[in-house]
Amino acid sequence: MDEISVVGQVVGGSFGDIVIRQKAGTDLEIGDLMVSEENGSFLILQVFSLEFGSQIQDKMQQMMSGVNLEQGVVDAQFYEPDFVNYVLARIKPLARVYRENNDVKIPKSLPSFFNKLRLITKDDLKFLQKEKDSVFVGYIRSGSKIIKEAEVWLPAEDVFSHHMLIPATTGRGKSNLVKTILWSVLDTNKVGALVLDAHDEYFGRSEIGLKMHPRAKDNLMYYTPSDPPVGANRLTINLQSIRPEHFEGIVDFSDPQFQAIRMAHRQHRANWVRELMVTDAVDAGMENTSPSRGEFAAATMMVVQRKLRLLLSLEKDEEGVVFSRHKVFDSTTKGLTTVDDIVKDVEAGKVVVLDTSRLGDEAELLVGNIIASKLLQKYKDAKASGELERKPVATIVIEEAPRVIGVDVLTTRNDNIYSTIAKEGRKFKVGLTAITQLSSVIPKTILANMNTKIILGNEMKQEREAIIASASQDLSEDDKNIASLDKGEAIITSIFVPFALPVKIPLFEDIVKEKGMTPESGKTKVF
Amino acid sequence: MKFAHLSDVHLGFQKHESLQKIEQQVFEKILNQCISSKVDFILIPGDLFHVNIPEMRVQKFAFSMFRKVYDAKIPIYVVYGSHDFSPVSNSVIDLLAEVGYITKVTQAKSHEDSTISLECLIDPKTGAKITGLSGLKVGKDREWYEKLDRDNLEAESGFKIFLFHGGISDMKTDSSMDGDQMPLSLLPKGFSYYAGGHMHKFNHQSFDGYANVVYSGTPFAGYHADLEDNANGQKRGFVLVEFEDTVKSVEFVEIENITYEIIEVDANNRKAESINQELLEKTKDIDPAEKVVIIKVKGELTSGKTADVDISLVRDNLNERNAMVVNVSKNGLTSKEYSITKAKGANKEEIETNVFSENIGQLRFDYPELLSDEGIKLAKKLLSELGQPVLINEKKNEYIPRIRDNALGILGLDDDAS
Repeated sequence: MDEISVVGQVVGGSFGDIVIRQKAGTDLEIGDLMVSEENGSFLILQVFSLEFGSQIQDKMQQMMSGVNLEQGVVDAQFYEPDFVNYVLARIKPLARVYRENNDVKIPKSLPSFFNKLRLITKDDLKFLQKEKDSVFVGYIRSGSKIIKEAEVWLPAEDVFSHHMLIPATTGRGKSNLVKTILWSVLDTNKVGALVLDAHDEYFGRSEIGLKMHPRAKDNLMYYTPSDPPVGANRLTINLQSIRPEHFEGIVDFSDPQFQAIRMAHRQHRANWVRELMVTDAVDAGMENTSPSRGEFAAATMMVVQRKLRLLLSLEKDEEGVVFSRHKVFDSTTKGLTTVDDIVKDVEAGKVVVLDTSRLGDEAELLVGNIIASKLLQKYKDAKASGELERKPVATIVIEEAPRVIGVDVLTTRNDNIYSTIAKEGRKFKVGLTAITQLSSVIPKTILANMNTKIILGNEMKQEREAIIASASQDLSEDDKNIASLDKGEAIITSIFVPFALPVKIPLFEDIVKEKGMTPESGKTKVF
Repeated sequence: MKFAHLSDVHLGFQKHESLQKIEQQVFEKILNQCISSKVDFILIPGDLFHVNIPEMRVQKFAFSMFRKVYDAKIPIYVVYGSHDFSPVSNSVIDLLAEVGYITKVTQAKSHEDSTISLECLIDPKTGAKITGLSGLKVGKDREWYEKLDRDNLEAESGFKIFLFHGGISDMKTDSSMDGDQMPLSLLPKGFSYYAGGHMHKFNHQSFDGYANVVYSGTPFAGYHADLEDNANGQKRGFVLVEFEDTVKSVEFVEIENITYEIIEVDANNRKAESINQELLEKTKDIDPAEKVVIIKVKGELTSGKTADVDISLVRDNLNERNAMVVNVSKNGLTSKEYSITKAKGANKEEIETNVFSENIGQLRFDYPELLSDEGIKLAKKLLSELGQPVLINEKKNEYIPRIRDNALGILGLDDDAS
């Protein structure tokens, strides 16, 4: 190592909290990655705290400051200031890399005492090679410096089947990250994704988006209820696709209300929602001629009707035809196969983006529930028949995840499909990609099952603590690091990476500029 | 004013003589009805014929029919369907267009920026503006729609009709309708009527920006499954549309074709013998005379081979009692004992070897050369031989004996041994 590249030297500390003295003229940052050359291997270490050090006692320094400030001595200087005052950085070892085979191991020993350290370079990160069917997340970041040559790719099948959590507060680049990830997913058919896009921001209806991927035509399906752009699908789901259990864990129905719903389903089978909506509640509740009808009160019936009406935005026209205002639900002959079509697309390894921006919270989750239930069932069947291996991994991308896997939801209501997937989906190659601002309200059992976390900046201490406590690597010293993550900066902790990787996520616009499709030219033959 | 819309006639599809007759009778009935009800024009959005150049019998019939309509001064507007298209205008459709019996509506211009623009032609009598695009196999026409300059088409005023041939996913009513569907959003908006072909069942729906998207369905049968649907009560016919500035009414006109009987047997968890028994019993209960009889066996046998389900007795019995046609569907029949396990491999060769080696253990034969590694080798050789394509300029009656002799050679048999 040449002397110019040296940034510090090991001067003390203990394992996990090594103290180095920063070389004068260098400017270490929190999160900087540095290398300690050892015999046959090197250690990668990361700065997690910075403080001043000085050869002069504290009191003496304070007195000197008093002279300087109060007595107006302006030209007072330290004798050999670089030598006397300096910065001490506290660093922790992340990984030991063996030169011979690029093997990366968790470090179990200290760097050599007094060893000189340098900042990491692209050559130290050769072990981060892209493997087949991986997902590009960004570049390795050392503090705020980006090492562009060190691209970070995650093994797609593994990370998606073992669930992914993206904890982030607003404005930290969450949607940019999701788009970046989905862009790689679109490259192959190894991962199928169902994306509940509550803000209609991923497809790029009128701006830059996933639609610009060169394989978008084959691999990206966009469903929207309103005026689908050319080539997009209409998000219309027939009421016949809804079954009573789809409301479980999503909508608050009391026991008698659920009973009324199940009764309607038993009576009218597929058409139960429509029939229930056109039934006169008073007649149904009062009339005792039919034993099944008399079992619940008119009031219950009316509440059920009102809840369904609000939830699904249902209305009745003068001919008694039930329709939904946002057109997502249909009671006639439209949308009979939408759910099956979407499931088939996900099973074929495509990315299916559902524009749920017009739907209320519960309706959005219901739509996701209907599709996810069918998807999980199909994957379970595939496992039973020994065909699971041939299927692509499926992931369900959901925003504001605590709506379905939050503690309060799971304790007050029954399990829903999302929590089922979080708990047992891995066995069937179905995973969740959960995006949340509030990790702390997701039960620990579920958080622990999310084996990849891409942590974006978070200013809330409680949230950082929840993330740190459930991380796949020891992040106990990274609280400040996470708090200081800028927009687009992230830390990836996962059982599939050798250590918690600090990354910079590129701007999605730049990816599109570089890799997006180019317009065709030349005449097209028509006959 | 009114027009008729029919599609997916698949003239020339039927192989059985009596069904060929029905195929023609139905078509004739429809055209006669069009003439008698004095429609202003007829739309046929594709698959009028089952292949682009059908046999002479079919062509002669078609020409005589279209001549009648031509004499009645009713124009017919068509696009190619996925079955009768030809990229080089080498279809009987082109012949009919050439003599002036029908008109192809696709008037497309290709531009340097790869976009396509379409012109409408105007029906002289009604002033209706008509345009459309043909359907290609495996949804290849999708590219045309993606490149279509739709602004001009959408800006066109008046009563506009768009002819298309292809599945529209928004119109699907049944998940089993597989294949290449495209979203409705690919069609240009704002037409008064969208005359569709390709989906074989009548279907009429309206959406925002797309009023009256209609499939007339096949008038008789263009796939084998259509006959089964007919037997299950599917109505067949064509569509009559009344219009002024807008569509006034869309009426499905049913045209009866023939009577059917269907015998369905669920083979799940049963043995072949009991299925054969049930088939015989069910056969007794029906009167097959002058009817199309569909026999459908599906499910998974507990043991034995699927070939043990023997239809020949039943078929003979029905034929003796003057059944017009007996159609047998055993596609959904499998056996637990002889189910083929799929296998993986890096390439075709490897997959074939793996499939054979995973499954050959199920077989019980007295011939050791058909089992184990030797059997696998033999199976692979045979498969490769049977997969040989027809040589250039080789005729069918040369190709079949060549392949047969080679296959028999591989098996070490001669012609007589069979």
